[in-house]
Amino acid sequence: MSLSRRNFIKSTALLGGGLAIGFNLSGCSKAPPYPNMNATALQPNAYLQVTASGEVILQLHKVEMGQGVFTGLTTLAAEELKMDPALITVQHAEFHPDFRDPEFYVMITGGSSSLRLSYQTLREAAATVAAMLIAAAAQQLNVAESSLNLHDGKIIHAQGELGFADVIVRARGMSAPSVVTLTSPQDFQYIGKYDQRLDARAKVTGSSQFGLDVQYPNALSAVLLRSPDFGGKAKSFDAIAALAKSGVRSVINVDGAIAVIADTYWQARQAASAVKVEWEKGPLAGVNSDALRAERHSLLATESGKNVEEIGDPSAASGVLFDALYDVPYLAHATMEPMNALAVVKSDSIEVWTGNQAPDIALSAIADATGFSREQIRIHNQMLGGGFGRRILPDYLVEAARVAQLSGYPIKLVWSREDDMRGDFYRPNSSVKMSATVEANVVTSLQAKVAAPSIMGQFVGEVSNTLLPQWIPDGLHGKLAGLAASSDPAATEGLIETDYQFPYMRTDYIMQETSIPIGYWRSVGHSQNAFFMESFIDELAVKTGQDALQFRLNHLPVDSRRRKVLKEVADKAGWGSPAAGQFQGLAVHESFHTMVAQIVSVSIEDKKIKVHKVVCVVDCGVAVNPDIVRGQMEGGIVFALTAALKGNISVVDGAVQQSNFHNYELLRMNETPEIEVHILESAEAPTGVGEPGVPPLAPALANAVYAASGQRLRQLPLKLV
Amino acid sequence: MAELSFTLNGQTQALTIDSGTPLLWVLREQLAMTGTKFGCGMGLCGACTVHLDGQPIRSCSYPAEFVNGKNITTIEGLAPTEDTLHPVQQAWLEMSVPQCGYCQSGQIMSAVALLKANSSPSDDDIDKAMSGNICRCGTYPRIRKAIHRAAELSVQYYQPATTEVGAES
Ligand code: FES
Ligand code: FES
Repeated sequence: MSLSRRNFIKSTALLGGGLAIGFNLSGCSKAPPYPNMNATALQPNAYLQVTASGEVILQLHKVEMGQGVFTGLTTLAAEELKMDPALITVQHAEFHPDFRDPEFYVMITGGSSSLRLSYQTLREAAATVAAMLIAAAAQQLNVAESSLNLHDGKIIHAQGELGFADVIVRARGMSAPSVVTLTSPQDFQYIGKYDQRLDARAKVTGSSQFGLDVQYPNALSAVLLRSPDFGGKAKSFDAIAALAKSGVRSVINVDGAIAVIADTYWQARQAASAVKVEWEKGPLAGVNSDALRAERHSLLATESGKNVEEIGDPSAASGVLFDALYDVPYLAHATMEPMNALAVVKSDSIEVWTGNQAPDIALSAIADATGFSREQIRIHNQMLGGGFGRRILPDYLVEAARVAQLSGYPIKLVWSREDDMRGDFYRPNSSVKMSATVEANVVTSLQAKVAAPSIMGQFVGEVSNTLLPQWIPDGLHGKLAGLAASSDPAATEGLIETDYQFPYMRTDYIMQETSIPIGYWRSVGHSQNAFFMESFIDELAVKTGQDALQFRLNHLPVDSRRRKVLKEVADKAGWGSPAAGQFQGLAVHESFHTMVAQIVSVSIEDKKIKVHKVVCVVDCGVAVNPDIVRGQMEGGIVFALTAALKGNISVVDGAVQQSNFHNYELLRMNETPEIEVHILESAEAPTGVGEPGVPPLAPALANAVYAASGQRLRQLPLKLV
Repeated sequence: MAELSFTLNGQTQALTIDSGTPLLWVLREQLAMTGTKFGCGMGLCGACTVHLDGQPIRSCSYPAEFVNGKNITTIEGLAPTEDTLHPVQQAWLEMSVPQCGYCQSGQIMSAVALLKANSSPSDDDIDKAMSGNICRCGTYPRIRKAIHRAAELSVQYYQPATTEVGAES
């Protein structure tokens, strides 16, 4: 088979969400059987199966990491099958090409896209199953299909009911209809109405199974000692003392890290502290995050960068120039469940149990590292104890597979919190010069110049080696990465394609060359760009003596979605009349096709910021499960408050300084404000909610702090002086 | 090596452990009770919270030898029966608290201990009792509501006639 260059380029489309680059290489082998393929079951597509006993099984092709797909996707299928979502058995799907994402070209959970991109597909898949069951029952009963209805796993007819099991043999013999009719929105029983979380019960009883909870007979525990600086490798090690410790089985060098293998995690961890390792410094030794920031500032002063967007004519930018420099630091994902994977390597197969957002990428990465073929590898996904983008990367799966391969044992690899904090792929640090021209109190231009490293450049470099066919020379991978990097949409997303209107608008991007590992962090580029944009908009309102809400409305088209959420949030929060002693700040931001506005109320005492309340309005199309939408907004706000008030990962001599929750603090209960969420009514198809609650918080908070203190804080985390 | 014998969720356990092993790893690895989670290993996050004679402890930092002869309750031992939930679990369900769910065993164990000591806690009491438990998913607003709800449910719960209150609907 040959992959034409044209197709190749097509399938490496760069995406607006900034999430991923896809390489669809499945064309050469025939499609594998559907999951659980079973001769006695009805299974017209990869998503759904009705077993001989009448059980409906849904393959969850997106992972559940708290964002609610376990419930949301099941609800979509339940709607067409006309059954209570709780009656459907949900299984974490293994890789299948039909589960590849139509925008990212790989099987991945990210970009707040699960509901949006499954809305049609999954309802069609379920409607197909429903139509086949009805057709089979009609034949069996010799009645018209129109006289039959589905209800809670039964087929209802004039004289009584049939179970799915009663018609399954006949249904299996039928061909799937080529067209199906979907339930029309006014008849929805579950979409927009269902308010449970299907995964909640197991999560309150402790029976929900996360990667870390998987048991495998005789599996040993492994911990890895990695170089303190990124990219460093073990030169030599002395494990004599470690090997003498209780339960220790072996200590080996695995691709430059030292694996300590013991009967239990605690034994492995204890023994690890007795291993003496001599490290060879990596390419990032000597790199400091402070120096990187200084470098970005000088890039902003000297480089013109690459133009990403230009609207209007430069000559329109008349009047006095006003500019401001903004900065954000590296951030860690800090999922509550540290990275882990259990790997079993046999002579002709590898199985991995873990929680991972991109099994497609992981399959290739493991294949590349072990020499096995993708077809020999199976990944069994579990519940994820948080993802936030961290678990898109396959590094911890590869490690487990390699330790298992080299040691010959079934291996459960568990990272400590310190490993997790220091071995992350961080939200990039980034600096922006925002500028505007003002003439006669009118803003005539708005410009942003971004200096930031490129996630895309690193990600493509990281994964292309595993996703491109062997025959593509290595040099091309690097070129591709470079190509992707210089126009990385994640660097400027949220600064461009806004519907703010100024006579001249321009955004430029200067890529900072650095290779501290960076990655996709809940809301990606929006996480910092909303802070830059919406803080500066506030500065412009102040500069021109206008109310922050009115200033925004004045610069938005009449049909803008921003207007709607802005007006609603102003109304709900009582914009302009804060509680006594409190001050309000406002921000609005669109990300992942979802529009969110927030008003934050603060007070300040002894230079300490106290956040009292956040009012949030979201426009996400149809809210499939409104309560989960509210939960995602609440959670996004808390996540963003951590970043705005505390988050900072610093690097000294190529090594991360933070290690655990005492020096990388997360927001706690006593610091959490009251949060009120309102969902705009909408008839549009659903858009994502996992990430869009995050971006507007930092600027709304910074704007409130300005209102309270007169201090314009242009760096995160916010600190009053 | 040390011999360890204690009561876990009402059942006697006797086993040999390496001296110094934290209770968390004895529970998770040697006894395969995985409802109790590992988050930080330093007593900073509360994911590993269990009860020692009714009091909350951080099992990641608690040497298992110290529980010799004592009663340990974990999330698995909270519900009175298979299909009945503890009122705190029930309140958690009603408020749809869990997101990823990873921190929730610890949150629930801390909340149960709080309610045992204080049957109708104020927001301040909740802040004090719960601030040792981190939730990265940010479910704190719902935890607060669920604790207030659990306080209501508990009143009925401890009256024998209504022990069914925890049943899943
Ligand atoms: S794991 Fe014990 S407090 Fe974090
Ligand atoms: S629910 Fe995910 S950490 Fe609390």
